[in-house]
Amino acid sequence: MIREEVYKFFADYIYKNTGMVYASSDYYRLDSRINELVKFFSLSSPDELYSLYKKEITLDMRAILINISTNNETYFFRDVKPFTTLAKKIMPEIMTLNPNEEIKMWSAASSTGQEAYSMLMCLKNSLEDSAFSKMSVEGSDVSTKALDKAKAGIYSGLEVQRGLPAQLLVKFFQQLEPEKWQIDLSIQKKAKFYEFNLLTGLFPSDKFHVIFCRNILIYQDKENKIKILNNLSKSLRKGGVLILGSGESLVGLETNLQSCMYDDFTTYKKI
Amino acid sequence: MNILIVDDSKAIYAMVSKMLEEGGHTALWAEDGLRAIEIIKSNKSKIDVILLDWNMPNMNGPEFLEYNIKEKITSSPIVMMTTENSPDAIKKALSLNAAEYIMKPFTSDILFNKLSLIEMML
Ligand SMILES: C[S@@+](CC[C@H](N)C(=O)[O-])C[C@H]1O[C@@H](n2cnc3c(N)ncnc32)[C@H](O)[C@@H]1O
Ligand SMILES: [Mg+2]
Repeated sequence: MIREEVYKFFADYIYKNTGMVYASSDYYRLDSRINELVKFFSLSSPDELYSLYKKEITLDMRAILINISTNNETYFFRDVKPFTTLAKKIMPEIMTLNPNEEIKMWSAASSTGQEAYSMLMCLKNSLEDSAFSKMSVEGSDVSTKALDKAKAGIYSGLEVQRGLPAQLLVKFFQQLEPEKWQIDLSIQKKAKFYEFNLLTGLFPSDKFHVIFCRNILIYQDKENKIKILNNLSKSLRKGGVLILGSGESLVGLETNLQSCMYDDFTTYKKI
Repeated sequence: MNILIVDDSKAIYAMVSKMLEEGGHTALWAEDGLRAIEIIKSNKSKIDVILLDWNMPNMNGPEFLEYNIKEKITSSPIVMMTTENSPDAIKKALSLNAAEYIMKPFTSDILFNKLSLIEMML
């Protein structure tokens, strides 16, 4: 049994630190997470865990809690369209607008890296080598555990089959062991991963040509959504493009981004 | 879709056909490449996709792919579905015109993901 007070303590902490909302009707979704922490710290009950965290939350304890409370679900080429549109429509336009410039992209809730690597794989496939050499992607997340995996670029047999066409698997991965596939260095060296909290981080100004921020805003309340979107907008260069998840949109949110269609795919542009 | 499962393991057929039926597809079974040829030649309703094992008696997966290149008995996409999981095996199957490749073990979401990749190509 987990007491209401214990649920509330962890739900509030997670909300303050990631913006993810666990409403009281959803507290049961914390059960397995709280129990995992109880086990991790070799305690015997959620109440003991509560006392432990109430006393002091060290940086490690914070990271462990955040790692466990985030949903890091992701896969290669998730929804397909964002990536094909990036390679076929958006990037040619951006390259024309910014000739000879380094093109900077951001996977702003990168989880374990599949999104960033998918961006790079489809660009490498569709661009000349000289153009691809100007591309780079920064991937960031609050989960240090997810970031460690992204940096390693090593995925299981199941993970490399989620969304990734076999052609691209053999083209861009080396098999280290039967169940371990590593992304090719030509892709990996174009990606940098670091910890960044979209709620509390200091956003750079006018830096990115393209931002993917997908399947994170759905976990945020309206106020935080607006805050994050305005910060992302600040980080976009003029003419830069923001791409959201398939269930996410700016509808009903006050921002200075303008929706921009590529065929039937919606993106948001900084004018 | 109407999907032909070519696999010498009846257990695999049972498992995959159950997954497919839950996804609204119908499944047929051939226990090796030769039987698959018979079924393709005799079947009146069109087979939309073929799921092909690698290791089978009589005619194995790559032999079936080679046969199809020569005899062109079907233009339906062929997806390898096998425990063979080396890059060389995958490259070989793709070079013999396999459209996709599924490594066993896999989950139903991977099966459906690969089928949707195939549908996009069709
Ligand atoms: C469901 S994953 C989405 C991954 C990828 N963008 C995709 O669409 O497949 C959401 C990620 O957002 C991260 N996240 C949650 N709150 C965050 C915050 N405040 N700042 C940065 N990342 C956050 C989680 O750790 C998780 O890895
Ligand atoms: Mg077999």
